[in-house]
Amino acid sequence: MNEQEKKDYLDSYKKKKEKGLPFFPDILFKDAVISLVIFLALIALAYFVGAPLEERANPADATYTPRPEWYFLFLFQLLKYFPGNLEVIGVVVIPTLAILLLFGLPFLDASRFRHFSKRRWVTVLTTLGMLGIIGLTVLSINEAPPPEATASGDATAALYAANCAACHGPSIQVPEGANLHEIIAQGGHEGMPAWGADLTSDQIDALAGFILSPKGSQFFAETCGACHSAEALVASEPVELKNALLQGTAYPAHEGVEGVEQWAGLLSLEEQTALLNFLVAPDGQRLFATNCASCHGASVAVSGTEEELSATIRQGGLHLEMPAWGDRLTEEQIRSLAGYVVDPETGADGKPLYQERCTACHPARVPSAGTMTEAIEIITTGGSHETMPVWGDLLTPEQLDALVTYTWNASLGTGSGLGQDIFSQNCSSCHGAFGEGGPNPTRAGDIIAPISTAEYLKTRDDITLRAIIAQGQPNFGMSPFGLAYGGPLDDANLDALVAFLRSWEANPPVDLPPDVQSDTVSLTGGEIFATVCSQCHGINADGGVGPSLRTAAFQSSNTSESIFNTINDGHENTAMIAWGGILSSQQIQDIVDFLLSLPESEGGQSGAPSFRVSVLPILQAKCEICHSASDPGGGWVASDAQSVITSGDNGPAVIPGDVAGSILAQKIQNLQTFGDKMPPRQELSAESIQVILDWIAAGAPDN
Amino acid sequence: MTEDKTLSRRNFLSVATIGIGGLITALLGIPAVAYVVGPALKKQTEQDWIPVGRASKVEIGVPALFKVKIQRKAGWILNEQELSFYILTENGRDFIAMSNVCTHLGCRVRWVENDETFFCPCHNGVFAKDGKVVAGPPPKPLDQVQVKVEDDQLFILGG
Amino acid sequence: MINRIGNWMEDRIGWRAAWEGIFLRKIPKVNWLYTLGSASLFIAINQIVTGILLTLYYVPTPDHAYNTVQFITYELPAGWFIRGLHHYGASAMVILAVLHMLRVIYYGAYKYPREVTWTSGVLLLLVVLGFGFTGYLLPWDQRAFWATTVGTRIAGTAPLVGDFILRVIRGGPELSEVTLARFYGVHVWVLPAVLLLLVGVHMILVIRNGISAPPEAGE
Repeated sequence: MNEQEKKDYLDSYKKKKEKGLPFFPDILFKDAVISLVIFLALIALAYFVGAPLEERANPADATYTPRPEWYFLFLFQLLKYFPGNLEVIGVVVIPTLAILLLFGLPFLDASRFRHFSKRRWVTVLTTLGMLGIIGLTVLSINEAPPPEATASGDATAALYAANCAACHGPSIQVPEGANLHEIIAQGGHEGMPAWGADLTSDQIDALAGFILSPKGSQFFAETCGACHSAEALVASEPVELKNALLQGTAYPAHEGVEGVEQWAGLLSLEEQTALLNFLVAPDGQRLFATNCASCHGASVAVSGTEEELSATIRQGGLHLEMPAWGDRLTEEQIRSLAGYVVDPETGADGKPLYQERCTACHPARVPSAGTMTEAIEIITTGGSHETMPVWGDLLTPEQLDALVTYTWNASLGTGSGLGQDIFSQNCSSCHGAFGEGGPNPTRAGDIIAPISTAEYLKTRDDITLRAIIAQGQPNFGMSPFGLAYGGPLDDANLDALVAFLRSWEANPPVDLPPDVQSDTVSLTGGEIFATVCSQCHGINADGGVGPSLRTAAFQSSNTSESIFNTINDGHENTAMIAWGGILSSQQIQDIVDFLLSLPESEGGQSGAPSFRVSVLPILQAKCEICHSASDPGGGWVASDAQSVITSGDNGPAVIPGDVAGSILAQKIQNLQTFGDKMPPRQELSAESIQVILDWIAAGAPDN
Repeated sequence: MTEDKTLSRRNFLSVATIGIGGLITALLGIPAVAYVVGPALKKQTEQDWIPVGRASKVEIGVPALFKVKIQRKAGWILNEQELSFYILTENGRDFIAMSNVCTHLGCRVRWVENDETFFCPCHNGVFAKDGKVVAGPPPKPLDQVQVKVEDDQLFILGG
Repeated sequence: MINRIGNWMEDRIGWRAAWEGIFLRKIPKVNWLYTLGSASLFIAINQIVTGILLTLYYVPTPDHAYNTVQFITYELPAGWFIRGLHHYGASAMVILAVLHMLRVIYYGAYKYPREVTWTSGVLLLLVVLGFGFTGYLLPWDQRAFWATTVGTRIAGTAPLVGDFILRVIRGGPELSEVTLARFYGVHVWVLPAVLLLLVGVHMILVIRNGISAPPEAGE
């Protein structure tokens, strides 16, 4: 605009102004009318809708899905399209550019033209910008959690119809090896929301099953659906599901139940497979977590090829067929064979023997063994070193493929060692081995929510996680773990732990639902002690981070009431939180009674560990998975003191008082004379081993 | 003619504009006044029968001191307050309850067994057993509170 | 009588010039879209009045904030009314300010000689958004807490200075009583002061330069 144009404009404006109306009352009247209309609309909103007020802010509530005020939704939505390193574009670049454009508008568009038809660029860009903002807002609102679908008939199909069908149509083609649970829970691809916040983990499993095997869902609705809900069954073990299907009326839980039929005869083999695929979605991560993790931990190191892994999983314990070569070869021959197996290069002299004896069964590769002792052990005794089930019989082909793919991929990654150790020692007893949570051991009906979901980790930065761990959450029964707050972990430990938790964010290990079936917690004082107190006070109450509770000084200077009060109120500024808010008075009293019933020890010396308090929890956590009463591996049952001592195919596992002679003691220390060390992959902590040895040494009392 | 029309139109618009302004002010102002004076208009205390103890604890002819905790909420904070008062019966059936706050300047009076009077230590006020002023500066008898007995349980009206 | 008071005042404060300059000034022929600015001003006044009323009872600490909002909403006479007007007024403010701005853009009203008016208007829009962001936390309910947790965290993702900004906004690494206090301070002291200043500038400029006329085709 030059001077002339400016002058022209001012002149023409002056003329228009003279032809116009006075501000009061003509113009102001319109303003007043509009203001009144808006004001009445506000009153109507306030009266009919009301300003919302939700629950009081709870910083510890992990399950709340944050949503900003509606006029910021478009920004919120915009960020979804700039994941990871690109985030800075959505957060900084675009908003800054937009604001700069607004400020610069009069200077960028400085021509004399004012009518929109002469300013195409400004008109078009403004319109596009507004449409973009409106579009993003609408998208964001549509992705808001839908109301819970109350479904009837094929519940899973209804769930699918309500949540997925709008974008995906009636069915979805899933690429091989895709981790459906994760995709649904976290939102896999462009525009797909993370459902993890809105659906339960069971629902997601059911949906994954439905997507991969819609027919199975239909069979389920027709056969099992009369009694079971899909969400309840998807959480079961695949082995049990298969048994229930095959055994029909003969299956223990189905005996005498009306309506149960011999499904195996009624459904074709294909239909059975479809049904099983629906109930246990061919989702490798989940299959691994339910089937393999109890013996193999978070992942398996695989030395061979993917095909070999596949064969091992399919055949499982089938390679128990291996003969005990100890009877057929001399000691020297076994030695050279073992040398070859451990390292084919340095032990090359074992090669001819290997080719002669072993290639019939081990043609493709030399089986690997860690040490000479281990190799000698395996060759001498033959196959009974593994109790791995024959998964080929238990799982459908689709499930097997998924499991193999997952295990293979998982074996390529690595865990963060120190953090993982700290987690399994300090956290897993309440949060589960994979942070999946579970029933709160101290409170009936309460569940500990998963801490390993992407949702949880995304909404907490490292500082927050560190603070939660260091300071605990006394309101929820979590003691402080930081050294500064009286806990056992120093700064380096905390950092390692946080790093370990963070490593889940990209690839959460499991989204297993907390499994709360029983509403009652009928724990004895001793059991509660073992779960919540022993971390600081020692498994035998003889002290650790916290003081020993068995010294004469403690036992004689405290009354039942004073101990009760201490537990109830806690000690300020220490890791001892006030348990009164967590445990019921009865539970606290039980603990008090338990503490007072402990035999006094001098100077923190421990007496015989209690079987139920100290030994059984270890056995339950580490052994029972393969040595349960219903399926005793090697004939040994780990579920009660009597069977622990007497059962076992190789004679009594425990000789009370004789540590060296007890098979159990030998195997957990890897000193055994036959078979493999136990547990096969994970090792017991030194502390756990000592507890079991002490118990045996004390005569293996059933106390 | 047109001049007149414009003028009357102007007048109408002026009145309407000011009217709308007044309407909005009233719509916002009246609730605002109610909102501001609301807590002042709230009844001082909602009175309720508060259980204070067993009637059989009161010996005939001797005022007994009772204390009861009540919860008061002025706004959003729950405050505990302790009320204390003497309860007296002459026949075991009819009870009177008296505040133990001296009507002079608000000190606590106490029962003096030997003189059978209430004595206020601040300015030597003396009240008779039934609360009437006997000596000293207090301008009126001790405040009485309504009291009733149900199943040996004493209630006072307060809050 | 009224005339005499008017004259007496005129001699001392000279109100007639102001009255004529502001209320009797001529406005070019305009349409209803030109009411959006006045409507925004009206809502701003509404927000100020109801906001002041809310501070009579509201206490900005985590142990009381939620209780006081509950008290205002459910126990005070007309408390729901005042809070409702303030809550929905905030949304109305954003809508009206944006619509007002769109009118100005489509009519080219930001051009000479009104560039500074426009700049003050953009600043006002930012202030309005700032009001929305800080006000959202004050009820201290779940959505307030978590939305602000995420909102501040978004600010924290900016490169280099992000973490520092996050700490400044939150008053520490985490959302806490410090955050609440400073959001309250910004919401009731800092932003209103800026708002009044900018509104004053905006109004003076509007009166000085006149309201732009709707451009005709070819202009």
